[in-house]
Amino acid sequence: MSVQAPQLPILPDVTPAEPGVDVGTWRAAWRRLRHNRAAMAAGIVFLGIVLWCGPLAPLWVHFVSHRGPNVQNLLGTISVGGHRVPVVSAQGTPIGPGLRGQYLLGADSNGRDLFVRVLYGGRTSLTVGIASALLCTFLALLLALPAGYYRGAVDRGVSGLMDLIWSFPVYLLAVAISATLIVGGLDIGPIKISSSSLLIPIFVIAVVFIPYIARPIRGEVLALREREFVEAAIAHGAGPLRVMAREILPNVAATTLVMFTLIIANNILVEAALSFLGVGVSVLTPSWGNIIQEGYGTIVTAPWQTIAPGIAIMLTAISLNVLGDGLRDALDPHGSGRTGGR
Amino acid sequence: MSAWRFWLRRLVSLIAVLFALSVIVFVIFNVIPGGDPALRMAGRHPTPQLIANIRHDWGLDKPLWTQYLDMMNRLLIKRNLISYQNQTEVIPTIVRAIPKTLSLAIGAAVIWLGFGVLFGVLSGLNQGKWVDRILTVLAMAGISTPIFWLGAVLLYLLTFVWHSFFLFSWIPSGGYVPLTVSPLQWAEHLILPWICLSVVSMGFYSRVVRSSLLEVQSADYVRTARAMGLSRRRVLLRHTLRTALIPLTSLFALDFGAAVGGTVILIEPVFGINGVGAYAQQAVSQLDLPPLMALTLYGGFFIVLVNAVGDVIFTRLDPRIVVG
Amino acid sequence: MRTAGPALAAALSAIALVACGGSSAGSGGGQSSTASAGQPVNGGTLTAAIPANPDHLDPGLSYATEGWELLEATNDGLLRFKPEAGPAGAQIVPDLATAMPKVSDGGRTYTFHMRANVKFSPPVNRDVEPSDIKFSIERLFRINSGGVGFYTGIAGADRYEKTRKGGISGIVADDKTHTIAFHLTKPDGTFLEYMAIPFAFAVPAGTPNRDISTVAKWRVATGPYMFSQYTPSQSITIVRNPNFHQWTKYTPNGHLDKIQITIGNSPEDAMNEIADGQLDWYFEAVPPDRLAQLRARYPSQVHVYPRNDITYFLLNTRKPPFTNLKVRQAINYATDRTALVKIFGGQGTPTENIIPPSLGAAYKRQWPYPYDLAKAKQLVAESGTKGMTVNVWSHSTDPVPKAAQYMASVLDTLGYKATVKTLSEGVYWDTISTQAGDPQVAFVQFDQDYPEGQDFIDVQLNGERITNVGNQNTSNFDDPAINRQIDAARAMPLGAARDAQWVKLDREIMAQAPWVPFLNRTLPKFDAPNLHGLVFNGTYYEMFPEMWLSK
Repeated sequence: MSVQAPQLPILPDVTPAEPGVDVGTWRAAWRRLRHNRAAMAAGIVFLGIVLWCGPLAPLWVHFVSHRGPNVQNLLGTISVGGHRVPVVSAQGTPIGPGLRGQYLLGADSNGRDLFVRVLYGGRTSLTVGIASALLCTFLALLLALPAGYYRGAVDRGVSGLMDLIWSFPVYLLAVAISATLIVGGLDIGPIKISSSSLLIPIFVIAVVFIPYIARPIRGEVLALREREFVEAAIAHGAGPLRVMAREILPNVAATTLVMFTLIIANNILVEAALSFLGVGVSVLTPSWGNIIQEGYGTIVTAPWQTIAPGIAIMLTAISLNVLGDGLRDALDPHGSGRTGGR
Repeated sequence: MSAWRFWLRRLVSLIAVLFALSVIVFVIFNVIPGGDPALRMAGRHPTPQLIANIRHDWGLDKPLWTQYLDMMNRLLIKRNLISYQNQTEVIPTIVRAIPKTLSLAIGAAVIWLGFGVLFGVLSGLNQGKWVDRILTVLAMAGISTPIFWLGAVLLYLLTFVWHSFFLFSWIPSGGYVPLTVSPLQWAEHLILPWICLSVVSMGFYSRVVRSSLLEVQSADYVRTARAMGLSRRRVLLRHTLRTALIPLTSLFALDFGAAVGGTVILIEPVFGINGVGAYAQQAVSQLDLPPLMALTLYGGFFIVLVNAVGDVIFTRLDPRIVVG
Repeated sequence: MRTAGPALAAALSAIALVACGGSSAGSGGGQSSTASAGQPVNGGTLTAAIPANPDHLDPGLSYATEGWELLEATNDGLLRFKPEAGPAGAQIVPDLATAMPKVSDGGRTYTFHMRANVKFSPPVNRDVEPSDIKFSIERLFRINSGGVGFYTGIAGADRYEKTRKGGISGIVADDKTHTIAFHLTKPDGTFLEYMAIPFAFAVPAGTPNRDISTVAKWRVATGPYMFSQYTPSQSITIVRNPNFHQWTKYTPNGHLDKIQITIGNSPEDAMNEIADGQLDWYFEAVPPDRLAQLRARYPSQVHVYPRNDITYFLLNTRKPPFTNLKVRQAINYATDRTALVKIFGGQGTPTENIIPPSLGAAYKRQWPYPYDLAKAKQLVAESGTKGMTVNVWSHSTDPVPKAAQYMASVLDTLGYKATVKTLSEGVYWDTISTQAGDPQVAFVQFDQDYPEGQDFIDVQLNGERITNVGNQNTSNFDDPAINRQIDAARAMPLGAARDAQWVKLDREIMAQAPWVPFLNRTLPKFDAPNLHGLVFNGTYYEMFPEMWLSK
């Protein structure tokens, strides 16, 4: 699905940064970023979301809602304006939002507190988004560095692989892999992953989006490889591993960081899509995608269950995208060669 | 590089991609224990003999590689591949679904290209002004939208909550009417799906066009042209925009291929359009290998093909670029 | 299993084929409109819609409610269920046979005399002969029909299933005397039921050994209607069968001239179209989400029918902790059925029995497990199984995962560590019916094949039926004394004595709690205001030949 390129905003510059990116460069970038109000606001919003979903969620449960994300309440009642009303009506319609500590956003079909579920769902979605972005970036570096460094056959092999993944109907493949994994779990030799494990969506999303990071980085590495300081390091007898780690990696760090930020947003959207298709995170763990998926069946009678997590996803993705944009501007002040896509 | 070598290379990569795709799909469905198709076909009161008969008749008792070759043979050569679920023919079903998916994808592509470029130009010409700010916020929101969610919420609001409001009362709650039956109804049924399928790319394109525009505006030849007294508008249309649009062509090919080859899986079921995406969604939920195989190959084929075409256009537009 | 709906985008659509309605089951709510509208009017075209292709338009292959609804209007077997709603619709009456069969040889031989002058529709245009019936049953085995399990009790069927050569020796058809005799390997009262379901409907000898759904030449009818056109994913057209003449009151002429079905309308869309007057009738239930709104605005157009259905969680008696009777009982005590009914949108009636009461007056509701959490906790404590991990399986069609999560919370309350595993519905049923699939607790929705206690007790709870794959006794419940009683009941002729035996078995089995039954679903439908004669039969669902449109 076209989460392919479109959801990754403007890919960063493919021309390499100046050699010897050092502490000073990063400091300058930070200074520039600090003056970018939009990016700073986005960063604060993202931090706020992380705080709410992370440390503040249990506090809210403990002091305000008194009901964890998985506590069901199908037969209970709650006082609204002095009347006792059932949390879930006899026709299965949950109570809607209201200004109160409990059920701030209303309940879901099982009588759980929707607001608390959105908070805890955020934990899952952020975990999947960040973990898959980390894995994806790591794998991309693992492929891109040797490809750009060795060139020749290694590069052709890696590029071929990237082209292959690039040409896959991504969602179809992700959905197919997840669907089968969810039936059986994964059990290959020592690797045992239960079918309800978070590792499945993390793994699937990470693999599918490798080319988006690996391609631009490979381009940079190819160009860096020609630079004098790299040639000099090699001439001084540094081994390939050392050159890649000490000379090349620091110089692609800026690009990698920007890509990493942007791909988190992308991955959160993909997690939601997979969960919506019923092949994402297992139902017992709330995630934003799961909550939407469960709410979709009752969107007419209980629309908030669909709407609220969607807004949370959008807020998170917007903040990450704006932040990523700002980061790129800060790290690449000349802003040359902003080609989109490949 | 000569044209025939370019196409030959593309053909080779197409075959490689399709082969790899088919093997991957086939392997995951056979290695991971999922639904046994023989059991599925045997119904509610299966006798052991019935299950054995089905295995035999469908060749499910043969070695895996024979099964793979047989499936490819039925898909590509005999063209009579049959799904496990309800034993329907796969290829006619896909052929019937393609017009719906293309209607959806082409309409959405027109919208995202048109509005994406328009917004990008407006944004770029008014850098820093409020138009630019608003459009930037909208573009960022578009890029960050879960499209299936947008579809569900729009449907709920426009066809249920505000259905009686005259502005929205004409919007159908899903389904599809062929263009040949009624162009008006065709468009009415597709307007919301088009919007949902296009928001992400629309936001993305407007950002790309905006930055290319800013970049090109500072280029020497544009400055020279302005110095020679050409109007700003003229410079924009004759020089700047053309250059700025070049990176969009390959991007557009990529997105269009991805839309037709996959993204529709998120949109079609929401809007009740029985296109390729809905068929894929159905095949996935039933772990129905034959249609999934056909659909994955169809998606891969489309993506590779459209990208090749995009590259050709890319080369034509900017002779400096050589596609290798 | 007979699936509740055509395979549509299950995970996504909010469609919930599990829909039900709030009115009391067993009332046969469908007939109200007939009463109010006066005398039926002939003529007119019914504009109908279905969300996806029906599974098959081939009586030998169709095993879904939509297919059976269609085939009831077009085809006939030797017998049929009375075209009525409620328990009356469970009665078996002659159709292509002139009378009920003569049973001889200690219940092992059924001899039918067939009607003359019943013609197949064009292009076949010839009389239906006993040899066509024999052909139709044998064809099931050649096309690997899901229905063969009903007919393996016929002598020689086992052998024929293996060889698929030479015919089934236990079916003796004589076209000269218009008789056909079935010899069974052992007495089986349910054989009459098997002859009334669409698998036993007559197709002309010579029908090819493949799906004839799209083969117009062989898609031949005997009933009042025939398929004149079928384009998958687009439309089905049903018109009157020119060769049909009414032969008994149970084979009505039909009032409509034509039924035009469009394929691909989503439930939400269909509801709007019916409300706007563009559509008369829809195959599927009202989406649970829309029911309250439609009921408020169009009270006379919403009809709620009781299905012959049991919805339950199985407890796998081979898997700890459910090997322990106390644990199984504890979960029954700790499950509040009203909570689960809420999850199903209030569309159905809570139950603690195996056989749905809509099957007949004999099957009265009993409540062996009134909600009692304290007692449940005490039983768990006595069993010493607290703290064990329990996996609850469910399919992913809304709202089933929500019900599974409720069960998980019940198990957690009792001190177990519950997890939930969801599979897409397309593979779920096959997965839970293999021993390798191995669920401990799993959601099951069982719609009847035929309206008789055996379909519920024998098929799902007879220990002799446990198999490794395709297992229908999914709780692996195996009690030799119960098995013997079930076998004895099966051999009995249909009737009150047999019903009483099933009721007794229902009670005895529930005392051992292999299931947590909780719901008999209802089917809420929304129809055009001028559509009448809506009669819901437990087997054929709403019957087209009964419907008529007022002006």
